[in-house]
Amino acid sequence: MPFLEAVRVAVSSLRANKLRSFLTVLGILIGVSSVIAVVAITEGLDRYMSDRVLQLGGKSFNLQKMPDIITSREQWLEMNKRKKIERDDVEYVRRGCDACAEVGAMVPHSGHAKYGRTTQNSLQVMGITENYSRIGSLRDLFAGRHLVQADIDAARPVAVIGYDLVEAFFPGGIEPIGKQILIDQYPVRVVGVAEKKGAVFGQSQDNFAWIPISTFEKFYSARRSINISVEARSMKLFETAQDQARVAMRVRRHADFGAPDDFSIETGQSVMDLWQSATRGIYVVTIVVTAISLLVGGIVVMNIMLVSVTERVREIGVRKALGARRRDIMRQFLVESVILAVFGGGLGIIGAAVFSTALGAVLGGIMSADFSAPVRPWAVAVAVGVSTAVGLVAGLYPASRAAALDPVEALRSE
Amino acid sequence: MSAEPVIDREALIRAEDLWRTYQMGAEEIHALQGVTFTVDRGEYVAIMGPSGSGKSTLMNLVGCLDTPTRGTYVLHGKTVSRMDDDELAAIRNREIGFVFQTFNLLPRASALHNVELPLVYAGMPRDERLATARRALEMVDLGTRIGHKPNELSGGQRQRVAIARALVMQPSILLADEPTGNLDSATGEDIMRLFGKLHEDRHTIIIVTHERDVAEHAHRVIHLRDGRIESDEKKP
Repeated sequence: MPFLEAVRVAVSSLRANKLRSFLTVLGILIGVSSVIAVVAITEGLDRYMSDRVLQLGGKSFNLQKMPDIITSREQWLEMNKRKKIERDDVEYVRRGCDACAEVGAMVPHSGHAKYGRTTQNSLQVMGITENYSRIGSLRDLFAGRHLVQADIDAARPVAVIGYDLVEAFFPGGIEPIGKQILIDQYPVRVVGVAEKKGAVFGQSQDNFAWIPISTFEKFYSARRSINISVEARSMKLFETAQDQARVAMRVRRHADFGAPDDFSIETGQSVMDLWQSATRGIYVVTIVVTAISLLVGGIVVMNIMLVSVTERVREIGVRKALGARRRDIMRQFLVESVILAVFGGGLGIIGAAVFSTALGAVLGGIMSADFSAPVRPWAVAVAVGVSTAVGLVAGLYPASRAAALDPVEALRSE
Repeated sequence: MSAEPVIDREALIRAEDLWRTYQMGAEEIHALQGVTFTVDRGEYVAIMGPSGSGKSTLMNLVGCLDTPTRGTYVLHGKTVSRMDDDELAAIRNREIGFVFQTFNLLPRASALHNVELPLVYAGMPRDERLATARRALEMVDLGTRIGHKPNELSGGQRQRVAIARALVMQPSILLADEPTGNLDSATGEDIMRLFGKLHEDRHTIIIVTHERDVAEHAHRVIHLRDGRIESDEKKP
């Protein structure tokens, strides 16, 4: 029986039982839908991450004692043994690195601020050098001025505050500049307000206060390790700048040739790497889940095809009496099985598109970002290919049962 | 058992010592026990017998739905009794036109699609198929009903569609199993008149029946009893 005929017969048979056909392909629908949706959403998240990471500055890096990402307690103990980085090291790196446009420093502390009766907790207090605001992702001013070298030389108790503090302490248009607030019991005067940047993964980026690094050392002692922040002159010189900074630091530490660094150089890349390895894990889980649901879906299709064959035993007998060979009957039921499965795959693609659009909108709302998760053409091709394969394999047994029916017996049935 | 058949231009069917034995557990059931007969082109034969006489079994053998356990069956010069599945299917497609008691039409297909089914399995191209099927339906006076589905047709009309389907490949023999069994007597008469007309058009017709009225229309009656031919009489 020519292929086109088989397709016609299959389609008419499936349409005769629309609800049953739909329920049959549910497993395949879910499997296909989930794999496409997860891939689409993960790609969207990837883009979101790299956009955000890019915001951290495409040509800046930090030289610090502890690495950004620590994966075990043992590692933390090891890293903690390293020598701390001091203010003098900053000048050293600056002199040793001519691919570096700016070399500054930052030292962080998590504390709180108070104004009147209002307290702002989880405040990121940062002691900075004058050039810190020009390194990495630029933070413009909403009001007032940046810290200047004179502030640092004199260790003045002044601060540039993040926008969250304005919302907490000076709502409704009250002028923040010149006001005195308490940072961890220390009074400081507000000289500037940084522009609002919003949240990343739910973390506010505006809950901070910049104070001169010298002032920081007065408040919190000079025992902490500082983070050297470097801005390379250009993207081309990004690698070179890291190398030069590394060499400068190694010389300073009198490191032996071949010995590992006793400090870390961190770029946005390490976050991306961690993210990539996390998404690898997600992909693997998704593949497993999809494989299982496709297996289940295939079994369901096979069962329904067996039922269909049993229902149509007499019809098969008639077809054989009219001249259908085994392979004609085989082809007819295989085509029906494949069409059923591909129908499920097609619904899965639609389901994935709907699901990832909806989820993208929800996530975009939470993370206040443009979050489009498009369904890729290759994913569609894979979905169609995989469901065809499932349909073929699932239909093989029922189709061969149908083809093997004895025409005399078949005509007698029902 | 015979060796190669003698090419006899007249005899369309040559059945020699046909046996059909079934294994029922430890017992052997002989549905046919050495049936021998010939049928010439253009004959109108009725095969009669009570239930258990083996007439259904014989019909299955004549229609190439089944092969004999012993004996030879030559149809239109071909030794069918030795053929494999695919060859038998081809023979059924080209040489046999079945008409069943319960019509056996595909319920979801139109009359036209039902009639074209043997042509589909013969690999005929679409346009030719539709034209041929249409002509067959016109031959049984259903030219105006080609788009109807079986549930939109009366019993008599359904049987006509089945007959058109049986004729569409221009087979050697029309093989009908109780063709009027599911019809009222008036419609039954109608159908038998149609068979008569087809016989006049030189078709070879074999009807298996247990009804005497039906057998009366044929020109030759073969009686079966207990798997053997009891009598084989031509009308004068």
